[in-house]
Amino acid sequence: MASRLLWASRAASLLRISVPYRGFASVIKDLKYAESHEWVKVDGNSATVGITDHAQDHLGDVVYVELPELGTEVTQGNSFGAVESVKATSDINSPVSGKVVEVNEELNGSPALVNTSPYKEGWIIKVELKDAGELNNLKDADAYSKFCDEEDAKH
Amino acid sequence: MILQAGASSCFSSILPGPISCSNRQSSSLRTSNFISIRDRNGRTGEFHDLHKELVPYAEAWKWQKDIVAEKKTLIETNQDCPDTLIVLQHHPVYTLGMGSSLEHLNFDMDDAPFDVYRTERGGEVTYHGPGQLVMYPIVNLRNHKMDIHWYLRALEEVIIRVLSSAFSIEASRVDGLTGVWFGDQKLAAIGVKVSRWIAYHGVALNVTTDLAPFESIVPCGIKDRRVGSIKSLLGLDDDTQLIETAYKSLIKEFSEVFDLGIDQIAYSSILDKD
Repeated sequence: MASRLLWASRAASLLRISVPYRGFASVIKDLKYAESHEWVKVDGNSATVGITDHAQDHLGDVVYVELPELGTEVTQGNSFGAVESVKATSDINSPVSGKVVEVNEELNGSPALVNTSPYKEGWIIKVELKDAGELNNLKDADAYSKFCDEEDAKH
Repeated sequence: MILQAGASSCFSSILPGPISCSNRQSSSLRTSNFISIRDRNGRTGEFHDLHKELVPYAEAWKWQKDIVAEKKTLIETNQDCPDTLIVLQHHPVYTLGMGSSLEHLNFDMDDAPFDVYRTERGGEVTYHGPGQLVMYPIVNLRNHKMDIHWYLRALEEVIIRVLSSAFSIEASRVDGLTGVWFGDQKLAAIGVKVSRWIAYHGVALNVTTDLAPFESIVPCGIKDRRVGSIKSLLGLDDDTQLIETAYKSLIKEFSEVFDLGIDQIAYSSILDKD
């Protein structure tokens, strides 16, 4: 009895159009990292958030960053904005919960700062922290590096 | 050529401009022409065939977002999250991406020839309308590759194969200009959104589209190139079969590129529907 399902041929192997990946993305010690590839730098009650070198490398040229309004409440793990590259927009998720007190307006005119300086000039928002304990849910630099290697190895 | 849909009076080929539909109608979108698709791990997905129908943009957009929300819940609760594919046509409409510039519109927003929607997808302004097959794959990239670049190239691959196998048009990619091209003419536009590795929005392939509305915009923000359609390239007068041919090929190529099986009984019923 013929199978009722028509299985497609394994064309995925033909699509090994792999994007060149240089295999080394920088991390900065003292920052904390989320598995969704955002970093956070904590200074007392204030946190600066951006996306990691690994993330910007995979995205390609960032052409637009959607920033939240000042005063927006953000929650750890939830989306607060988006970045656009190569005709695709991707959510940026907040690694911490709190209130947005500052956004990087420079990104409106120069979204590529996210690519050229992901940990410094390419910062995205500053958050007044609601719960410092949440930082324990994040990874440190070494654990995040290892996580990235494992994720890339799966492709 | 565009048939009245039996499922809902919400869809019409005759009235221009926006058609207001009650929310109740969106549930009929979900139950019409549902075919199950199965991937190689046995997960069942959904394939919604509305290729002969003109769907209001707002309805389709809300529907996609509802499906994405459902899929996110499945992922959060550690359940299998299969893929969904919707194929349809739209009434004439312009859509903008998240960061689209209004400079690429050759008209005032107050005086727009058709409705204009700003969406969360990537990419610049484009036009959707009758004669254009729009494909909204709502794909859990975890089932494939968690790589947006790969996903875009895969969508392009589907269209390139359709054009080649069904129409003998050798189309290609252009580095840096996402979409499918024949010479300097874009035949298919792509713009997606990825949220928690669920991709939505999708691809628009010009089959018999009236290309005039593209002249009121700078399509995809690209000034020195044109937009084409399968009909314009083939120079045909009789285009009655083109949408059907393109649609059947689209399903076949999509299922191959994304390694999804479409239930054989259902697929052969698509082939027989002539």
